[in-house]
Amino acid sequence: MQDEPVATEQPQQQQQQQKEGEEVANTYVIRPNFESKFRPLLAKPVIHEVLVERLTDKAYDKEATSGLCKELTDEIKARLRANGFERYKFVVQVAIGEQRGQGVKMACRCLWDSDSDNYVQDIFMNDSLFCVAVAFGVFHY
Amino acid sequence: AGMDNLEATDESSFSVDEVSNIIKESVEDVIGTAHYSHNKVGQWTSSVIEQCVNQLTRLGKPFKYIVTCLVMQKNGAGLNTASSCYWDSQTDGSCIIKWENKSMYVIVSVFGLAV
Repeated sequence: MQDEPVATEQPQQQQQQQKEGEEVANTYVIRPNFESKFRPLLAKPVIHEVLVERLTDKAYDKEATSGLCKELTDEIKARLRANGFERYKFVVQVAIGEQRGQGVKMACRCLWDSDSDNYVQDIFMNDSLFCVAVAFGVFHY
Repeated sequence: AGMDNLEATDESSFSVDEVSNIIKESVEDVIGTAHYSHNKVGQWTSSVIEQCVNQLTRLGKPFKYIVTCLVMQKNGAGLNTASSCYWDSQTDGSCIIKWENKSMYVIVSVFGLAV
């Protein structure tokens, strides 16, 4: 049920734009140029908007929250794809927990090409829940 | 389509079993039966992740890895996590392990993306 990345053309290259259905030529691009890089500054407002829109005034509810969690990840992924970032694979992770005074710690480490790959995170809290959303963008050579 | 990869012992497909063992070993090693301590959590998460990444590198596969670790004190509070990925389902994969001891929950997720 997962989407497959489609080989896309970079219009700035000297290759001609191919119509769908025809063979796609190699672009020989092994590094994203600056405009198409996954920049945290551009992606963070996307995530923030989704969290604020969907979670303000929501309370932690045992049954509803698991569905809500999945919806959030799908929505964030859809919006990131819509924002451009050609040739990028995305991994979006969302964790929603109830606020009861417990201690939580979340950390991550990545083994990737730091020139082309990056991540963006956002945290949302209200009185009854906290939500952490992370989106990783990995360039596909 | 993803199920076909379970049979392939191809170098370039994500092996869920191997990764799952790596994760379980790392968590047992670093945390084991320890009691939740606010001062040590940072250290624990870093060590678990570092150990996972080192073992994953040793596998020698052409993958980029993303490892996340979440530690939560047992308090009766609820926690939900979800992830959504846009990738090539034939070569990429993920492994998410939920582990617990008497005083805390640990969730480690490893995403492997083929180069």
